[in-house]
Amino acid sequence: MNTKMKQFADASKEKFASLENQLSGVLKPIKPRKEFVHGVAQRIQTAPRATFVDRIANWHLLAMVIAGLISLAVFLAIVGRALFSLVGKKRTA
Amino acid sequence: MPEPEEQDTLLRASQGDLDAFGILYEKYVERIFNYVYYRTGNVHDAEDLTARVFYRALHHIHTYTDRGLPFSAWLYRIAHNLVANWHRDRSRHQEIPLSDAPIIHYKGEPPEVAMMQNQERDALLRLIRHLPSERQHLLILKFVEHMSNSEIGETMGRSEGAVKSLYHRTLLSLRDDLEDSDLEE
Repeated sequence: MNTKMKQFADASKEKFASLENQLSGVLKPIKPRKEFVHGVAQRIQTAPRATFVDRIANWHLLAMVIAGLISLAVFLAIVGRALFSLVGKKRTA
Repeated sequence: MPEPEEQDTLLRASQGDLDAFGILYEKYVERIFNYVYYRTGNVHDAEDLTARVFYRALHHIHTYTDRGLPFSAWLYRIAHNLVANWHRDRSRHQEIPLSDAPIIHYKGEPPEVAMMQNQERDALLRLIRHLPSERQHLLILKFVEHMSNSEIGETMGRSEGAVKSLYHRTLLSLRDDLEDSDLEE
């Protein structure tokens, strides 16, 4: 029984070894084209710089819009309150 | 865990230093290209997706946090997601067009034998591409990158034992597939 099991294990090992040989023959490192590698490297160095700048610019723009909205709200509140008090004074007079 | 000199480069890259990101790109572009190439099966899509991996990495590098895994694991995760989307966008897996697959010349073999070997090679590649993605990833790291089980474990976020076990199951499954396709004599 042990011999049979050993034979089975040996056969299985051999099959695995043959499969591993096939795999190492098929899965080989492939060099990407130089033009492709350099092209992406250049785009990384140029286009995304604008993205970084854009990100900062967007932050500034967003901050300015929020600040503007708050200022507008405060202004409207002040004007509204002034008008309200004027109307109130007129009524009491 | 990233190497000490790489940690500095990573820190600079995450702060917006494009030259530092360029260093990381040069270091990893071939590995990511190989991963994507063997997952998609053609050079054109491999180039397109590899470029997208690095653009996405560049846009998100400021969110990168060192969790004790190699930086390549982060890139492979991005690549995995993009390849998964690429497969989802297609109703069926794309096969390697013969004109696109690198032709391997077997020295000293007659042309008909070499052709047979190339056909067997294409058939095996097709079987590999039908494996679950993590098994494909494991085979690529093992045979293309020549990584040890512990390095594969670090990259895939698994223990060395789990990698060994997954590798064994992958070989078993491939062997069965090969027998089914009558590729093996």
